[in-house]
Amino acid sequence: MVIDRRKALLFGSATTLRLLLFFAFPSLPDLLTGRVEISTPVTSFKRLQEGLFLYTHNVSPYDGGVFHQAPLLLSLFALIPSSLFSPLTSLLYIALDLLCANALIQIAESGEAGSSRLFTSPRNELKWDGIAIGAAYLFNPFTIATCIGRPISVFTNCAILYAIAKAVSGKPMSSILALGLASYLSLYPILLLPPLILLCYDRQARDKKETPPISTFAIKYTSLFFATKVWFLYISNILTGGSWEFISSTYSVQLLLPDLTPNMGLWWYFFIEMFDSFREFFLGVFWLHLGGYVGGLCIRVRRQPLFIITTLLGIFAIFKPYPSLSDTSLYFAMLPLYRHIFPLMRYTFFAMATILYASLLGPAFYYLWIYAGSGNANFFYAITLVWSLGLSEIVADSLFAVLRDEWEVERPEMKGKDVRQI
Amino acid sequence: MALISPTVLALRRDPRLLKLPPYLSALLILVGVVWLCLLPLNEYSRHTYISENALLPGQVHTYFGGSEQNVFNAYKYEVKELAGKPQDEISNKLGEIFKSAGLRSARQKYEYQAAGITYTGENVYAILHAPRGDATEAIVLVAAWTNMDGELNQNGVALTMELARYFKRWSLWSKDIIILITADSRAGPQAWVDAYHDEHISPSVAPLPIKSGALQGVVVVDNALDHHFESIHIVYDGINGQLPNLDLFNTAVSIASGQLGMRVALQRMWKHDDSYRERLQTMLRGMVRQGLGHSSGPHSSFIPYHVDAITLQAVGEGGQDDMAMGRCIESIFRSLNNLLEHFHQSFFFYLLMQADRFVSIGTYLPSAMLVAVNFTIMAIALWIRSGRPPAPKLATTMPEKSSKPEVDVIQKDGMTAIVPKETITIHERQMFIPVSLVVSLHFLGVIPLYIFNNSAFETLPYYFLLFTMVNLVLPTALATFIHHQASLTPQQYLLLHSFSLLLLGMFLATLATLNFSLSLFVGLLSAPLSFIGNPFSGSVEPKDVFPSQLRKTTSSIALQLVSPPVVVSAVCYFWGTNVGEMLAEAAFGWKVNGLWMQVIVWCVWWPAWLAGSVLVSPVL
Amino acid sequence: MKYSFGPLLLSLLSCSLVLADPDYHERLNLQPLTPASLLASFNFWSKASLQSYEEQHFKYIPRSLGQILQHAKTRELHLRFSTGRWDDESWGARPWGGTKEGGTGVELWAWVEADSDAGSFARWVTLNNALSGLFCASLNFIDSTRTTRPRMTFEPASVGTNASTDNLYLLHGTLPREVVCTENLTPFLKLLPCKGKAGIASLLDGHKLFDASWQSMAIDVRSVCPADGSECSIEMEQTVDMVLDVQRSKRPRDNPIPRPVPSEGLRCDDTKPYAGSDFCYPSDISNGQSWTIAEIFGRPIQGSCLAEDSNGNPLDSVYIDVPNEREMYITSGTENKHLSGTCRSFTLPKSEPFEMVLSHLGPQTFNDHTTPPLYASRSFTGHGQERGGVQTLLTNPSLTSSISFVYFETLPWFMKLYLHTLTARLSTSSTPNPCLIKEKFYRPALDRRRGTQLELLISVPANSTVILTYDFDKAILRYTEYPPDANRGFDVAPAVIRLLSNDKKAPVYIRTTSLLLPLPTPDFSMPYNVIILTSTVMALAFGMIFNLLVRRFVGADEVEGWDVAALKAKLRGGVMVLRDKMMKKGGKGRKSINSSCGN
Repeated sequence: MVIDRRKALLFGSATTLRLLLFFAFPSLPDLLTGRVEISTPVTSFKRLQEGLFLYTHNVSPYDGGVFHQAPLLLSLFALIPSSLFSPLTSLLYIALDLLCANALIQIAESGEAGSSRLFTSPRNELKWDGIAIGAAYLFNPFTIATCIGRPISVFTNCAILYAIAKAVSGKPMSSILALGLASYLSLYPILLLPPLILLCYDRQARDKKETPPISTFAIKYTSLFFATKVWFLYISNILTGGSWEFISSTYSVQLLLPDLTPNMGLWWYFFIEMFDSFREFFLGVFWLHLGGYVGGLCIRVRRQPLFIITTLLGIFAIFKPYPSLSDTSLYFAMLPLYRHIFPLMRYTFFAMATILYASLLGPAFYYLWIYAGSGNANFFYAITLVWSLGLSEIVADSLFAVLRDEWEVERPEMKGKDVRQI
Repeated sequence: MALISPTVLALRRDPRLLKLPPYLSALLILVGVVWLCLLPLNEYSRHTYISENALLPGQVHTYFGGSEQNVFNAYKYEVKELAGKPQDEISNKLGEIFKSAGLRSARQKYEYQAAGITYTGENVYAILHAPRGDATEAIVLVAAWTNMDGELNQNGVALTMELARYFKRWSLWSKDIIILITADSRAGPQAWVDAYHDEHISPSVAPLPIKSGALQGVVVVDNALDHHFESIHIVYDGINGQLPNLDLFNTAVSIASGQLGMRVALQRMWKHDDSYRERLQTMLRGMVRQGLGHSSGPHSSFIPYHVDAITLQAVGEGGQDDMAMGRCIESIFRSLNNLLEHFHQSFFFYLLMQADRFVSIGTYLPSAMLVAVNFTIMAIALWIRSGRPPAPKLATTMPEKSSKPEVDVIQKDGMTAIVPKETITIHERQMFIPVSLVVSLHFLGVIPLYIFNNSAFETLPYYFLLFTMVNLVLPTALATFIHHQASLTPQQYLLLHSFSLLLLGMFLATLATLNFSLSLFVGLLSAPLSFIGNPFSGSVEPKDVFPSQLRKTTSSIALQLVSPPVVVSAVCYFWGTNVGEMLAEAAFGWKVNGLWMQVIVWCVWWPAWLAGSVLVSPVL
Repeated sequence: MKYSFGPLLLSLLSCSLVLADPDYHERLNLQPLTPASLLASFNFWSKASLQSYEEQHFKYIPRSLGQILQHAKTRELHLRFSTGRWDDESWGARPWGGTKEGGTGVELWAWVEADSDAGSFARWVTLNNALSGLFCASLNFIDSTRTTRPRMTFEPASVGTNASTDNLYLLHGTLPREVVCTENLTPFLKLLPCKGKAGIASLLDGHKLFDASWQSMAIDVRSVCPADGSECSIEMEQTVDMVLDVQRSKRPRDNPIPRPVPSEGLRCDDTKPYAGSDFCYPSDISNGQSWTIAEIFGRPIQGSCLAEDSNGNPLDSVYIDVPNEREMYITSGTENKHLSGTCRSFTLPKSEPFEMVLSHLGPQTFNDHTTPPLYASRSFTGHGQERGGVQTLLTNPSLTSSISFVYFETLPWFMKLYLHTLTARLSTSSTPNPCLIKEKFYRPALDRRRGTQLELLISVPANSTVILTYDFDKAILRYTEYPPDANRGFDVAPAVIRLLSNDKKAPVYIRTTSLLLPLPTPDFSMPYNVIILTSTVMALAFGMIFNLLVRRFVGADEVEGWDVAALKAKLRGGVMVLRDKMMKKGGKGRKSINSSCGN
């Protein structure tokens, strides 16, 4: 393939920036690893190190309350020689970021966002090219902070982005495999399966003339997905010496939330304050709420499956059990693909201002609560509420813009007019 | 947000609405200031009260006195003898006295470098084991060898030693008591408390050989007077404007004034008749202290570690002798000894206007927040304004749009619609240049920050002078540079202003929760930034956006008057200190105490000011 | 006999004793400590043949305890109640080599007979519940999170039993938060044959015991099957050690407040130049001390309690470590000095009280204490309620020989230890030295189910200090899991250190102080608010999105809806109507208002 000069420039600059941060400020990575906004109990790099240490010293890391991450990661990181551990891991994470950017560029250049099989936006011509979108991802401070903080959610993000990239480039097989990996690493991407299948289907239907009916297509790839998952679990079972205890220690932690370490999400404080007898019930409700969006979106925005995925990623970033900055950065990576609907969004400035406010006040209030001791938990909790509101505002507003965009195709004369919903 | 009816959105386009914000934000600033001035009134301030019931201040009888006076005299004599002797001799003697009282003592050497000056010394401390305790909790009694004014703290040290002997005889202590004699009042305590939490800079600061449990409270004795004192001056400000729990302060006040009938003063208000003026003055002095956030006594260094601490300073000439001070401390320690939990009940954010009156955060925060919000409002207004479509004849700034026809025929599956171009064209905001400008200006602040914290004491005044000079011409230079490189469109001009204000507002709002006073002062000093340019016109015509030369010159002069260097020198002049000392003190705070006031000045206030001045400074 | 008093022989450095073998024996050892303290260790030892024990014939072994042990199938029991801390800097090595003391609060370990881990735990729970009833201590709070199964730290003191073959399980539990007080002493005394009415036990009084600078009550039950095949027996040993501050104890009961002494009572250093009427530089507290038993303990010993051997010869039961030259007087009983010259012992009279006076005549010196084999101090590092570190300083005072020991820590589950940060280094160097830690045994904690168990085999070179550090995270708990005084923090049990000596001497134990761990606390008054606010935010987002999903767009001008302009027009119209109605006749004003508001 021919090396694109702009791409090379972009990747080069992104890499140098990260290398600079990694090696010019040696204390920065550990500082960021300790931030609750970046590391959650299920993604923390320090916990990964602990698990790795136990794993290499023949103590089962899953027979403890600290390590909740997938076994494959253990065997992956166990390959890294301990003498060069920190430099090599930083290089690994930089490489992951570049891979994500690469996938993003593929997605952008496929033009799926502007015109899918069933729908082509009238504003299609208004868009950023792949490089710009890749840059928006690579130079997003959230992304950089995540990369330096080295949570394992970066692996999940990469897998998700690849699943999408493969889907839009008409390779359903590998796309589903990538999604299988993502949902193996951390449970929630399983909810992306329906829209992803729609995306694959649309792509295939567009490229090939004759296509199987969607039902058979869906059944085929759903079964493939689960086969992948089972295969991954089997491999991990072998890796952990034939014990299944890693399942309870990885997935049930995400399902049942035993570890209530603060994060940017809505779950932790809710379940700290929840009465014991109702805990299970509300866990069910929260998961139901999270899953509830999939169906609705798949039906209403059927014509733009990629947008369903984008919106779902935004929703995950808000309502996941252990959300972190990396999820937000993933959503903000996908959003620029919809450059053409920005003019239709109505609250961008307010939403962005809210998010900026929250991202400044959050650390301040956390400091007041944990270190200064002069504020209490409600300070930080309030900020998580504001943050979630700001994000959900963006999600809803972009959804509005897309729906209006679709609507204006039916009613071209309504451009620029006020609309109302009934 | 789809819940909001579009008609409300329609209001955004209403030009009358766009005229409103400047007045609104001016009003907010005004309200904020008035609010602050209302606080001292009885209706808005509250009487202090003890909310931690375990403390029971002044409920115990105090026995300190009698023959202790003789021992105290002897110790005082010894301390005077030691004055001016080498540190080693002092430490030996102190250790010997501790040993004779049956206490285990230890030492800690430290050395700091700040602004080219070296601060060295040695702390001596002893731990009185609680008879039935298990080294889980401890309370600290501190006396600095020299107090904040550099005088020999003779009575304080002697009294501390004597109290150590006295406390040893009691068997009721539930917490260990640490008696700490620091070599000076600012570096010594910092070195000790850092090492106690193992967060010290080694090897320049030595670790502590013996330790006890979690520190629950600290009382500092400062009495350098050579005669009987008249009242007790309680100093409570911590580093970065953090305050100790109000309960500790209240305990000290109620014991000193209630149980022992001493007068209590704070913020150097020696004669406090309960009048509005006095209250306001006390409050403002407190706010200035808090805003500066530098160390105001040995207690300051403890507060960032969530260890509540106060300094009791003997002032004035009167009938109170050292035994009275001793009884006061004894009673405070008995109260601290009662504590079951770490101080958490009462307020940590408060403004004191009298020994027994305060306002809590809920009451005073709005004033700073209003000032901060005014910037945000202006930012939003400018944003909306920048997005408004220019009149067609404005096409010169957007040639690519003017070339297109004014109407546009849309044909879609048969039906045809003719739509006026105006509504389709999206008035894109070119945000790249403004954003990058604002961000780079804020990063520019790192340069003065570095210079003023890392240069030697004697060079500081020259650097400051140099910086002031540069600061005079910098806005014009930058404006010229920008003009020649990429001359700003009206929209970019507005956006630049908007982002700068947005960022300033955001920083100040955050700061208001950490250090209320600093946020308020910075907010007031940079209030003019909201009103530069042509705030009152709603249009985006160049003539309405870019201010006239005359207005430019006047407003840039006005801005120069409130520029950081000018304000700093004004403050120094007002306090009669020279700039060099002030900056050296700041550098000391930065290096030793972890003071971050400078960050606010150089990376928040100065960049915002610079952005404002760039906007209004005439282009050469 | 030798083994039964093995530890005792160790502890009393100077006193060698020759004893016949009765079924019950008690002794009090008084050891003056510098500067002005007195170590009094009471020891009550009784035994019964295993057969009679199993047939429930209880003579000296108390029935109440014996039946509990039999019910819980407990072969060996060690129970400790302790307060305060042993100051080994000034008091030297610990009595009994630290084998008869526990960490602050309550510590309990036992060998339970069972056929499985689960079975042993079930019996352990029944044992705890029974003991907590017997000793009025909250031992029943020793649940699975506070129970550990140490590997290297403890060894059965029983002789002739084999833990592996008789499938015995060792379980260990601590309650660092427990406050030991009189309600624990009373049942302890009730277990004695003389119930504390006679013998040295008559000196044990709550006021004195719990005013001590350090005290530890211990109960040890073990079985002994001699190698020579003679019949097995059950031995029970009750020990009370306390360090009294002589000055404080001599203070009269009716006037306990340490008021300042009158000026003439001060002991001043007259060599000072300024020495005068109102200047007094206090002279050091002299090492010499003089007291009587009644002064120290508040009463003399009330006669003796079964202090005879099997042949009816009286046995010594009070020992004191002072040089023989030191003048001492006793009211009754007999005194015999020991050859070593630094120790003497007394037999108590049958019935009349026994009083002993240590005069200040004679040499004021005391037998200088032996330096402990190891100094250990543990503390938290860092601040803030998010994470922290633990730092343990282990100093080997010996100039010649290195020392190796087992370091055993049990941490609560909400203290999330990072084992990969565990490092040991010499205080002289800044880089960790991996070969200091010979062996690690680590059992990670499980949330709400199991605490962390950490056992390290460490060796410290001669005359050097090893610094042991590790990091941990502080978990935040559900609001129902906090104690009432949540902001005080949570106590972390002391670390137990067992010194390993290559020759077959009895083990030596050292315990660090316990720690206070502050955790982040939620707002306890907020459950409803939090539930409401969080649900509101979620409902808002859900509403916004589903609102968009289910409703369809129409142009704003195509539908009838309220609109600012329309509203204004309507209002204006209403006002118009109202006004001209007013103009016409004010009477119908109200009706017209209603009508105007109606539409």
